[in-house]
Amino acid sequence: MAGPSPHKPRRKAKRAGGNGPSNLPVIMEREALVRVPSFPLAAFLWPARSSVSQWELLPLILMVVGLFRWAAGLWGYSGFKKPPLFGDYEAQRHWMEITTHLPISQWYFHDLEWWGLDYPPLTAYHSWICGKIGSLIDPAWFALYDSRGSHDPTLKIFMRATVLVSEYLIYIPAAVIFVRRFSRLSDVPAWTSSVALVAILMQPATILIDHVHFQYNTVMLGFVLASMSSMLAGRNLWASFFFVLALGFKQMALYYAFSVFAYLLAVCVFPRINIPRFIGIALVTVVSFAILLLPVVAGTLSEASRGITAHPDGAYPPLPLFSDLAKHLNTEAFYYPVVEQLVQIIHRVFPFARGLFEDKVANFWCAMNVVIKLREYPAELLQKGALVATLAAIVPPNLILFLRPNKHLQPNKLLLPLAFATTAWGFFLFSYQVHEKSVLLPLMPMTLLLAGKQGLGNKRAWVGFANILGCWTMYPLLQRVDLRVPYTVLTLLWAYLLGLPPTSLNAYFQDGSSIWSQWATAFIHGFFYLTMAFWHVLDMFVVAPKDKPDLWVVANVGVGAVGFSLCYLWCLGSLVIESEILTSWTGKKMKTKTQ
Amino acid sequence: MAEIYPSLVQCAIVAAAFKILLFPAYKSTDFEVHRNWLAITHSLPLWDWYYENTSEWTLDYPPFFAYFEWIMSQVAKLADPAMIWVHNLEYDSWQTVYFQRWTVIVTELVLVYALQMFVDSTHGVSKRAAQAAAVSILLSPGLLIIDHIHFQYNGVLYGILIASLVLAKKKSSLLASGLVFAALLCMKHIYLYLAPAYFVYLLRVYCLSPKSIFRIQFFNCVKLGGGIAAIFAAAFGPFALRNQIPQIFSRLFPFSRGLCHAYWAPNVWAMYSFIDRVLISLAPRIGLPIKADALNSVTRGLVGDTSFAVLPDITPRMCFVLTLLFQAIPLIKLFMRPTWEGFIGAVTLCGYASFLFGWHVHEKAILLVIIPFSLIALKDRRYLGAFRPLAVAGHVSLFPLIFTPAEFPIKTIYTIFWLVLFLMAFDRLAPAPTRQRLFLFDRLSTAYITVGIPLIFYCSLMHGIIFGKSYEFLPLMFTSSYSAIGVVGSWLGFMVVYFTE
Repeated sequence: MAGPSPHKPRRKAKRAGGNGPSNLPVIMEREALVRVPSFPLAAFLWPARSSVSQWELLPLILMVVGLFRWAAGLWGYSGFKKPPLFGDYEAQRHWMEITTHLPISQWYFHDLEWWGLDYPPLTAYHSWICGKIGSLIDPAWFALYDSRGSHDPTLKIFMRATVLVSEYLIYIPAAVIFVRRFSRLSDVPAWTSSVALVAILMQPATILIDHVHFQYNTVMLGFVLASMSSMLAGRNLWASFFFVLALGFKQMALYYAFSVFAYLLAVCVFPRINIPRFIGIALVTVVSFAILLLPVVAGTLSEASRGITAHPDGAYPPLPLFSDLAKHLNTEAFYYPVVEQLVQIIHRVFPFARGLFEDKVANFWCAMNVVIKLREYPAELLQKGALVATLAAIVPPNLILFLRPNKHLQPNKLLLPLAFATTAWGFFLFSYQVHEKSVLLPLMPMTLLLAGKQGLGNKRAWVGFANILGCWTMYPLLQRVDLRVPYTVLTLLWAYLLGLPPTSLNAYFQDGSSIWSQWATAFIHGFFYLTMAFWHVLDMFVVAPKDKPDLWVVANVGVGAVGFSLCYLWCLGSLVIESEILTSWTGKKMKTKTQ
Repeated sequence: MAEIYPSLVQCAIVAAAFKILLFPAYKSTDFEVHRNWLAITHSLPLWDWYYENTSEWTLDYPPFFAYFEWIMSQVAKLADPAMIWVHNLEYDSWQTVYFQRWTVIVTELVLVYALQMFVDSTHGVSKRAAQAAAVSILLSPGLLIIDHIHFQYNGVLYGILIASLVLAKKKSSLLASGLVFAALLCMKHIYLYLAPAYFVYLLRVYCLSPKSIFRIQFFNCVKLGGGIAAIFAAAFGPFALRNQIPQIFSRLFPFSRGLCHAYWAPNVWAMYSFIDRVLISLAPRIGLPIKADALNSVTRGLVGDTSFAVLPDITPRMCFVLTLLFQAIPLIKLFMRPTWEGFIGAVTLCGYASFLFGWHVHEKAILLVIIPFSLIALKDRRYLGAFRPLAVAGHVSLFPLIFTPAEFPIKTIYTIFWLVLFLMAFDRLAPAPTRQRLFLFDRLSTAYITVGIPLIFYCSLMHGIIFGKSYEFLPLMFTSSYSAIGVVGSWLGFMVVYFTE
């Protein structure tokens, strides 16, 4: 038996948390020196607590999360063998088909009935690149018309690879950098931030929607993350650039636009008004948009000069929106095709003509619809109602973000994830035309809280609750294409790793919050977890009554909407507490020395 | 001492999640083999099991494995009754796939239990190392590729082997160790390769007196002999009643196969074949005669390669003699100094000898070496030095088993992940040796591992891009020759470590 060996290690042991500040605050030391990992994910990284550099850990983390993504991708995708229209997978594939085969001026006009392009231009360019690469491997995958509804298994592998590569190029680097910066700002040790990083990257909802059901949300979310990360680093111009890219990839990024605006404006106003900075940010935003649209505009102009128009059938339909505009413009002028193109893009990207909500989604309106038949009301009233409700929900968090500086009188960067999450929840719950997959948007910034102060402590319960509930509301979507197994595995795995119900109650009894609030949270969440479990049992074993075939889905929507409202309120509440509005009010009254 | 994290159960849970996600992955004909065995054992009377030949995948494992299939088939009929019809060839409804994949995951619990036994049997400072070794076996890319993608039941079998090895650690459970091993032999006869080490060890420490090899512990001999006889009777007895033993043996030991498997396992014969290939092009220049019939043989190429063009042919007898010879050398030392670690080393070396010199060795058999070796690889840095090239070569040599593009990232990334994680962890955990290290050996093994990276890259990606579908044997030949160098090198290194201990 070898005794305690006196051998010299080959490499010098690095100081634990080598890049954190040297004078660690007390909370942090307590977090780092706990003897026993409090949930399984911490146990897995336990051996790396000391003397393992983050650069040795990071490749391993990236390999593991990649393996889970790829393995999940072995399962089916949306619309697999579901004619006539198939699903999201076919939409994305079809865009690769049209962007690689049609002149750029026809992209937004081509056969709109079959998954017409309705995402902003960056998605179109991304599809073009993927389509070009894919055509090198097998041109049949993207052959115009002939490839519609293709289920070639090799094509599936290629498509899965494009999602994975896009994510590893955009979302994952952004997440890694954001987590590093955010936890450093929050005085969280490096090891704890690695745990948070794994938790964020294993988020089940993102994997299920992007890598299983099929979409490219992580590209948009990755640009938003990059934008937030630039804000943390004080690179405001980059922040606006990345945010424009996010908007240019998927209009859904508008959910965050208010917070981006509030923060960037705050940066120009506090601690003192900074006009050059404001102009710089405005300029970068405008120029970024211009660059984004440049290929479409230039392409349309050059194609128009060669006689290629958006309407190969020779028709001249009126403008879909702003039809008055045509009266003031010369339809024969050289710039008219560009105007038509831009109006068409806006028309495709923002479908105002559709209803208040699509399908069944766990937001306020859809849940209200159970009680009051909202569709009987005029569309305009509903639109206004949605606008007012959304504004009412998103103004408070953004006011806090705008007005509450930190102790250096600068805008408080630590509030960013909470403000983004609250705003996105507000949009998700109250805005017009919400899709169930949009829940990814509030979930992303909320999950980032794990990397902050007490993120893996007493915030874990709420972040976990939102994520599990989010996955649960997407279950009807996933089970339609037989994805119950990956849903169950990925959701339960994440719950297990983070010590959440149904695997453990440990998240509820962490230091840092009062016994009263611990029990209250446990009680509320317990109720929801039991409801979710009970619902799964019902859905599996009981057939819904004949006159109400959607009963289970409606129940899912109702419970989801209430739970998400609680998540909104919790985010708003945490934002109020962390911005120290209340304490500073009382503090001002008492005129304490600390202020 | 506090528990060490992550625990085996935690690892098993996360690994199980990953394995469930792999349900729709590629599965080899072994999946159909095992489905067929479920059908045979469930729907036919016992005495027809070894005669049934509707499917080409006849039952060719010993009776305990057949009983094991029979037990599973009792559950299988609840999952999908069509699965257990003998004539329902190539049947793979999703219920069948879910059921069979689940049985692999569930039966692997035996491995988890055995590994926990191993960790619990270690005390003091080396407990942390034992935990790391146990986790490395549990997460082994070999088991993942062979069991959970390719489809086999090695998890449960190696679980039983490890249980038996751990039982041999304590004097009080030596008998149990021997009997468990006998039962394992009745499940899969490949473990016969390890039997000589068991024989010598149990003979020395259980049947002979520790003080003198000339004093026989008679009662122990009776217990062990009687127990083994009872186990073999339970397995083969029902078949012996009807004189089916010759039929079973013809199924278990099909001697008509060639020297090398379809794809060369990375052993001495792979190197021999490689040299032969090289000599074919060199022979005219140095004036060596080429056997024309071998050159034109239809079996050249990917299929079994039994005749050589330049070098002399190899007969089964030569393989047998070489295997026994190289098994005997460490066994002599084991007989002289019977320690538990020496025993595990001897088991490993028996595995090595049979893998390197055996007749018609399958690349999957490399686990026979890797898994026992893992138990002692962290003894000190000299052991680890010999283990490293084996870990790389052994797992890389399994890559050709999985050739479908969808599983390509899984097998490569998972193996790289495992190698980086455990070679790094082992490097920190292995204590300094009490004796001088083989300085050059460490450097060579590092160089060897470095060469592997461009080689894998070439074989898996570049070759296809450069040559397309032509010269398909080249990457396979490179992989197996490269792996063979690693396995042979690590064998030589471990022999030196074993004998200088």
